Amino acid sequence: MNEQNLIIATVIFLGGFILAVVALRSEKKPPSGLNIVIAVAGLVFQSLFLRERGELHGRCPITNGAEVLVFVSWSIVIMYLALGKAFRLSLLGVFTMPIVFLFHVIAIVYLSIADPGARPPDVLDPWLEMHAAMSLLAYGAFGLCGVAGAMYLVQDRQLKTHHTGSLFYSMPPIKYLIDAMIRLLLIGMLLLTIGIVAAFFMRELPTALHFAASGAVWVLYAVLLGIYFVKRPSPKRFSVLVIGAFCFALLTLGAL
Amino acid sequence: MSIFCLGVNHKTAPVEIRERLAFAEHSIPDHLREIRELVHVNEAVVLSTCNRVEIYGGAEAIADAVAELTEYMVSHFAVEPGEVEFYHHESEAAAHHLFEVASGLDSMVLGETEIFGQIKKAYALAQSNGATARRMNKLFQQSFSIGKLVRTSTRIQQGSTSVGSAAVDLAERIFGDLCECRVMVIGAGEMSRTTAQSLLSRGAHSIIVSNRNFDKAEELASELKGKAVRFDDWENCLDEVDIIVSSTSAPHAVVKKETIERVMSKRRGHTLYLIDIAVPRDIEPGVNDIENVYLSNIDQLLQIAKDGQDRRHRQIEVCRGVIAEFLSEKGIEALAEIPERRKLKSGDDTLSDPPGNPVTHS
Repeated sequence: MNEQNLIIATVIFLGGFILAVVALRSEKKPPSGLNIVIAVAGLVFQSLFLRERGELHGRCPITNGAEVLVFVSWSIVIMYLALGKAFRLSLLGVFTMPIVFLFHVIAIVYLSIADPGARPPDVLDPWLEMHAAMSLLAYGAFGLCGVAGAMYLVQDRQLKTHHTGSLFYSMPPIKYLIDAMIRLLLIGMLLLTIGIVAAFFMRELPTALHFAASGAVWVLYAVLLGIYFVKRPSPKRFSVLVIGAFCFALLTLGAL
Repeated sequence: MSIFCLGVNHKTAPVEIRERLAFAEHSIPDHLREIRELVHVNEAVVLSTCNRVEIYGGAEAIADAVAELTEYMVSHFAVEPGEVEFYHHESEAAAHHLFEVASGLDSMVLGETEIFGQIKKAYALAQSNGATARRMNKLFQQSFSIGKLVRTSTRIQQGSTSVGSAAVDLAERIFGDLCECRVMVIGAGEMSRTTAQSLLSRGAHSIIVSNRNFDKAEELASELKGKAVRFDDWENCLDEVDIIVSSTSAPHAVVKKETIERVMSKRRGHTLYLIDIAVPRDIEPGVNDIENVYLSNIDQLLQIAKDGQDRRHRQIEVCRGVIAEFLSEKGIEALAEIPERRKLKSGDDTLSDPPGNPVTHS
């Protein structure tokens, strides 16, 4: 199987990140919308790769770890493009690119060493497709939430130390980052809930481990939201928690 | 036919001179009429602000026009000959000067945006009084394009240049829009007033003023359209506010870390920003260690302002590069020769062009 489109997407995201860093350090402002253009270009090649894999398997291309990672990356980019502007967080794209790049590199290495090849389903089950797609889109929202958390920690540090370089002035206000984290958590929870409910209608129920992993992620994020709305922890702690939660969610992908 | 600029600014004349030369806004139409009646001046725009008084014009014989206008200024504003030294620029130099003024490169606060609106207003006034024609229309329209381009493609506006603007900038980096922010001012001195006014100008509301002398607190509160609270009571208002500006003359810390810690436990995650512009400091430095609380003192704000000024100075050459690049593509339209066909048709190269696009005030 050819990973050409995935490699092109990876190069685009790496190039985009480098370009954004250079632009931040440059005396001139970068053209507005540069991050969006790069993200769209990367998304096109991600989509082409996923379409090829989907045609290979005859179903949603999440049959192995590499595909799942690319699908999660695709979801993160989709979430950024859909919500970044609305949340007034254009710089979110810059922080997203290294994560997407890392996921792609792992996927490329995995596929080049051990591509399991075509895995067509015995019977095509739309509920299974729905379950998989919604769950991974939820991971995209949680991933972007983690990115917003990381941005919060960076800007919090800059505000505490009064380090006011180009990055400081390019970052969004921390209140917007907190608001974005909560909204992304709510969107992610909604998508994950739909995904889990869809699983109950599947012809063949998932394994107990699969259920346990999905349930654990759902409970974790439900607890996080509960903590936020009931106890209102400091945004710094909350940011650390959402980053940690996404790392945990990524680990559970192994069980899915 | 060419263009020129004659005037004084904050670099060439002290405020005592600038205030005498300043054109009162209501009298500008009369001045424009009188200037147009001068023998050698064909068109004119008067730009009169706190930092500059400049007249841009079009004339066949620039030297004669400049001499005539200088005479006009000296006689109308009762300045002694030799008391004021007007600078003047001709042709490309005049156009370049206006482009730099419109870009904020000639301002006292580099990159400030107010001048752009003032130029638009000056041009609109001249245009509506029939004092502009082809040269001035082209010149000013192009200056608006350049001013916008410079501001959007460079970092000339980035960073703060004063203590007040640094404090406001930091507040905006924390809260974003300040419209929903409530402010408390502790101490009713000049620094408190200036900083509070900067915050108000960016949308903050609901000002609470507290001072040892309650009369002064009431006075400042009334000026800022806020409310005064007694000095023993300010702690009870802490959970109502988002920003605290402190500038008392107390010899010891007024705002203690333990007080803020106590308050933060009740604020349900709401961020608090404290601005300490007093010397000796009013707020214990340890307050900055509390999560979700940010503290800036006078030195930090001064440093941010200095960094901002340095950054803007470094941008001057970048901006000039942007202007040069723009002009290398488009040229200075006001100096372009009018096509022969149109000249023959109208028989005049000053009034043959349609007026510029309508001016919108920013």
